[in-house]
Amino acid sequence: MSIRGRAHVLGDDINTDIHCSSKYFPGKDNAYVAQHAFEQISPGFPSRFTKGGVIVAGKNFGNNSSREQAVHVLRMLGVAGIVANSFGRQFFRNCINNGLAVVECDLPVADGDEIEIDLALGRVAVPARDIVREVPALPPAVQAILAAGGLIPFLKAHPDWGAS
Amino acid sequence: MGHTIAEKILGAHAGGGPARAGDVVVAAVDFAMLHDARATNALKRIEQLGASSLPFAKKTAFVADHYSPPPHQEAANIHRDMRAFAEQHGVVLYDVGEGICHQVLPEGGHFTCGDLVVGTDTHSTTYGAFNAFGTGVEGTDLSAVMMTGKLWFRVPETIRVDLAGRLQPGVWAKDLTLHMLGRLKDEGANYRAIEYAGAAVAAMEVDDRMTLSNHAAELGAKAALLEADAKTTAWLKARGAREPRPVKADADARYYERFEIDCAKLPPQIARKHKVDDVVGVDEAKGQRVHYALIGTCTNGRLDDIRQAAAILKGRRIAKGVRMIITPASRHVYLQAAREGLIEALTQAGASVEAAGCGTCVNVTGHLITGDGDVVITSANRNFKGRLGNANSEIFIGSSATVAASALTGQITDPRDVDGGDWRPAKAA
Repeated sequence: MSIRGRAHVLGDDINTDIHCSSKYFPGKDNAYVAQHAFEQISPGFPSRFTKGGVIVAGKNFGNNSSREQAVHVLRMLGVAGIVANSFGRQFFRNCINNGLAVVECDLPVADGDEIEIDLALGRVAVPARDIVREVPALPPAVQAILAAGGLIPFLKAHPDWGAS
Repeated sequence: MGHTIAEKILGAHAGGGPARAGDVVVAAVDFAMLHDARATNALKRIEQLGASSLPFAKKTAFVADHYSPPPHQEAANIHRDMRAFAEQHGVVLYDVGEGICHQVLPEGGHFTCGDLVVGTDTHSTTYGAFNAFGTGVEGTDLSAVMMTGKLWFRVPETIRVDLAGRLQPGVWAKDLTLHMLGRLKDEGANYRAIEYAGAAVAAMEVDDRMTLSNHAAELGAKAALLEADAKTTAWLKARGAREPRPVKADADARYYERFEIDCAKLPPQIARKHKVDDVVGVDEAKGQRVHYALIGTCTNGRLDDIRQAAAILKGRRIAKGVRMIITPASRHVYLQAAREGLIEALTQAGASVEAAGCGTCVNVTGHLITGDGDVVITSANRNFKGRLGNANSEIFIGSSATVAASALTGQITDPRDVDGGDWRPAKAA
């Protein structure tokens, strides 16, 4: 599975309340909340973001609250993948469960740089900057869930978890 | 090279021998939990999955604890939907007033040593106090478990903490976990499991052990595991749990990190305002004026917490200008506290005792919003700015004994400086 998209850079410690503030729950739907994603730290991010883009962030991306809506909102914006130094534990799970590719590595890039991610090979590249990073390849079980588009479509196709 | 508790439990549940940290396994779950604050998303995922049957429903509990009681019609509707779903599919239901998920699951005898338990809450690490691999998940995970009884897990590396010596009277597991937060920092154990072992754990009663595993959530831990002993198995047996299958770590297990804490030297600890990892000895926070004193939550709302408070406050009055609220973690805890006369003693001392639930942990019910400039001392687990609904107030965290001693004097106080502050359970010889 490979992804190619333009970088949208965010910083360290972007917790899930910054993705989608709890002040919108319960009440507002995900489409509304998506238009307010990251408003505390990067006003206008949803309108600047181009579908198919890659978020590049620092440490602890998606930490604190485990709310799955944070990932639903990113899917709604059309995020193709996320590269960050590290992720909140449950956010990392939620991304895979919702078919959103996540890669742990340090990537010094600027907004608009083209990023290439190869999940099977474990490789992240930024051709314009001559950067190539080797990262641990995602285990096959996780790649299969991502390739299916998330855990729900995966289990619809493989109710036995692919054992047979 | 040997194995950690996490590697053994996850490996066994994946149908083989011990796994290795870093492996991804599909493992059979023993019990699952969904609470009201995550129910909307989870019920939507279950619907999307469109399973023809949910064989795991009977091994799943729904708990209405966060919106307890529901503060608005959306919350009331969530409870209505949970009740209807539970009735239709045979899910175990703990309704409003029964208590907090992490208290009612072990009290209900729903799992035992060596089990794999998932819950839609980061504090699902609590089950590690019973030598079960308990971990937090989200709605999609829960829907997968309800349909298949299984879930994928990345096997975590483990941080081993040897708790040498013994906590002094007036010092509790909460002080240890706060010390850990000061040392490893917020999310400092992200992705990892923690194993706590040693003389201090052996000396602790089950209530305190639950705090140890529970509060590891603030460290970002995926699980926080203790080995089982006679106290663990007797506690579980008394509550009708299945035959325990205790799992021990191998002496030559491979750890991500290993260190020792000398518990005998640890004074009561305080997490200062806004940051759960800004932790100091109580001496450095002494004298800070407080307006609210709160005891409760899944971290410290158990019977021994209420006993600590009553030992300090029985026959006395809390300081003028302090509002004190106590929320027992479950109906069982509440009833036992009533039988022991603790509710009466604390009410006479000026505290208000609420029905069991998540209570004053976080501003989801709106029944406690602090005023500008108000300072709170609480036995809860998180204190970030605005957690109680007002960003212009401050929250400090300490043990229940520290909260009670502070309520008595109106300022942050070392429980060892007040009568009754050295109380400890009689059984903890």
